Amino acid sequence: MTIIEVRDLTYTYPHASRPALKDVNLDINAGEFLLLTGPSGCGKTTFCRALNGLIPKFYSGEMLGTVKVEGLDTREHPTMKLAQHVGLIFQNPDNQIFALTVEKDIAFGLENLGVPKDQMLQQIHWAAENTGMGELMQRATHELSGGQKQRLTIASILAMRPKIIVMDEPTAFLDPVGAERIFEVLDKLNKEHGMTIILIEHRMDLAVKHVDRIIVFNNGVVFHDGKPQEVLSEESTRLIGVGTPRVLELARRMESRGFKMNSLPVSAEALYESLRPYLPEPRTGPAVDVRGLDEYVGEYHHQPIIQVKGVNFTYPGNVKALNEVNLTINQGDFVAIMGENGAGKTTLVKHFNGLLRPQSGSVLVENVDIAGTSVAKLSRKVGLVFQNPDDQLFEETVEKEISFALKNFGFKDSVVEKRVNWALNLLDLAEYKDKSPFILSGGERKRVALASVLAWDPDILVLDEPTVGQDYGQKERLRHFLAQLRTQGKTVIIVTHDVEFVAESQPRIVLMAQSRVIGEGTAKEIMTCPEKLSQCSVAQPEITRLFNRLSHHGLPHDVLDVDEAYDILVRHLKGASP
Amino acid sequence: MSLLESLRFTRGDTPIHNMDPRVKFMLTMTFFTASVMFLDLIPLATIFLVQAPIVAYAKVAGAWLKSLKGASMIAAIIFVTNMASFYYFRGGVLTYGILEYSLALTLRFIVLVTSFSIFFLTTSPDKLSLALEKARIPYEFNFAFITAIRFVPVLADEAQTIMDAQRSRGLELDRGNFLTRVRNYIPILLPLIINSIRRSLELAEAMESRAFGATENRTNLYELKMTRFDYMMLFIILLSMGLLVYLKLFYPGFPKLLGEGVIL
Repeated sequence: MTIIEVRDLTYTYPHASRPALKDVNLDINAGEFLLLTGPSGCGKTTFCRALNGLIPKFYSGEMLGTVKVEGLDTREHPTMKLAQHVGLIFQNPDNQIFALTVEKDIAFGLENLGVPKDQMLQQIHWAAENTGMGELMQRATHELSGGQKQRLTIASILAMRPKIIVMDEPTAFLDPVGAERIFEVLDKLNKEHGMTIILIEHRMDLAVKHVDRIIVFNNGVVFHDGKPQEVLSEESTRLIGVGTPRVLELARRMESRGFKMNSLPVSAEALYESLRPYLPEPRTGPAVDVRGLDEYVGEYHHQPIIQVKGVNFTYPGNVKALNEVNLTINQGDFVAIMGENGAGKTTLVKHFNGLLRPQSGSVLVENVDIAGTSVAKLSRKVGLVFQNPDDQLFEETVEKEISFALKNFGFKDSVVEKRVNWALNLLDLAEYKDKSPFILSGGERKRVALASVLAWDPDILVLDEPTVGQDYGQKERLRHFLAQLRTQGKTVIIVTHDVEFVAESQPRIVLMAQSRVIGEGTAKEIMTCPEKLSQCSVAQPEITRLFNRLSHHGLPHDVLDVDEAYDILVRHLKGASP
Repeated sequence: MSLLESLRFTRGDTPIHNMDPRVKFMLTMTFFTASVMFLDLIPLATIFLVQAPIVAYAKVAGAWLKSLKGASMIAAIIFVTNMASFYYFRGGVLTYGILEYSLALTLRFIVLVTSFSIFFLTTSPDKLSLALEKARIPYEFNFAFITAIRFVPVLADEAQTIMDAQRSRGLELDRGNFLTRVRNYIPILLPLIINSIRRSLELAEAMESRAFGATENRTNLYELKMTRFDYMMLFIILLSMGLLVYLKLFYPGFPKLLGEGVIL
């Protein structure tokens, strides 16, 4: 049964030169779990807004064609009426929570609809139970964690009992376990209550396990539409910058190498089943060392550049953020600080350039205690790039934005100009030099923020959540860029919970949980240690989960990325033709 | 600033917290009028002695002390200026009467702060909004009020992040003369304003999606219901109000505690 019917939808935002959506024709069936994807700016968010009439009513602009939701034309019914049929959930939970307590926020939509109290309580209860918020009903909304806030936004929409839920990147700010939790909730709503779920998501590896249809947008048109395996194994999908889930990518390569796959698998379990006929007999004992001697060993100085010694930090209101943290980062290191939301990662890196000062213990940068040195002076050595570029962009042009810090540091005008041009070229921003940073896209703004720090060429670069909200192509560019910085001898530190990004760039990992450092080691050591990972809400990469199982057949268990996995499989499976 | 900060609601489950906000407001107003009506140490001290156990009963003594700490500077100014001005304008003599009068004025201020502390520290904004609604204030105002409170911590966080980001780019806020210092705040204010505008748009979208304004007959999850305790309190409040008026009109005047002797 068709629940959403889109016919010849073309829409242009006011003052825009080209349409954001062009001739979109889609039928969405009741009970589908649908993923919308495509590179940034492809029109997927615009499409979601068209589903409950925000487009064209809230945004004005020019809309052609029709959108019908449960038979209701979105042009003829106001958004507040459509809200009972289709619930729209936006990216940032903070901007959708209106009440001071959880219960009251879930009630907000129902109060607006004038639902009587008895029925309201019943619906609130139902929504809370289905999203796991039942025990948090009386909590203050600003005290919730990121994942809890996101589940609250789902509960609040759910309480209005719409048949369709539309979510725009619900897991962007969440740690992997928090993200899985969201998917569990959505799965339950879809399978048990038959709700139609439409989702925008960049976390392909996670999403693809749950959805049963994928629509790829590109430049405002529907580029592909079909089953996940079909859409994602299309070469053209990959070319426009939609990432292929790692397991599927591996399976595809195996297939082209002559291994028969039953159906293209999207989870580690399914791929394992497909590989079964080719596997050596299960065996116990240590894995054979299958690697050659070609493993990359980086040049290593072992010269400490940042030392954190017994640091404690507590925020006002008795919120302990760092508890006896000890850490040494060497010159030229590439380090990822990982851990769950609120584990103290950002607090820790704010100590590196003196924004926060240890309440006890000490922090040494290049063997000098930071006590008594100003933030401005420390920043010359330690460049800190914040997560959200909008928290720092303010100048009229990109050029001025990038020269801001240089002027603060007192560089000569001639040097400033040279440095700005250098940074612009480095991050591929030269064409935007005289443009306002505010008209750029999210990914471009992020690059401007990065350029504005790189411009003064700090020895140590700290990036807080650099991959949040970035599509696959942007992440790939970032990965290469960081590798390039390392070859210049820079020390690079990233704060992240993007497991796939870490699996592919393989930095040294520092794991944090509950304001402590609970583990340190190479990416391989840490990623093959599920006990430690689960303590800090980090999930294993899918490829590693596959090799966990393969290790019973004598293959190594510490494999993180597709290239290595493919290499090992091709060399060691039965019937392989090298 | 710390005075305002300390008036923030703290969650709790005491009879004072659970009291009907209208009754509690009347209680506050009774304290307020009483302290304005009298200017003697004895009645003001009596009011204070009534307030103190209420504060303890509501388990907000810590926050209350903090608000007093915030108010202590103003209290000290009141006391000192009174003493000093009487001393100079009454010909350089300092009497116990003047001391008592200055103490009374200072205590009046403390009693006023305490009466508002009791109200704001123990009344959740949700209940306050319900009381406003009952007073027939349009829902839009109520909503704006609640939203403002809801976003105070969010905005404070954001301002801090922006400040950190700009300081990491070498901005030194406390450098230069007055004008440069004002200008130093532009890189902080601009992103804050722009983000707020962006946020207001997102809020409006989210409100639409939650059927804001769908019907005139909005319902409310929480309702105000007067309990027996509330009626009891209301009775006591009315009684004490009557007593106060009686005292004011017919009682000739309170004795001075410290007498009229000369100190200096």
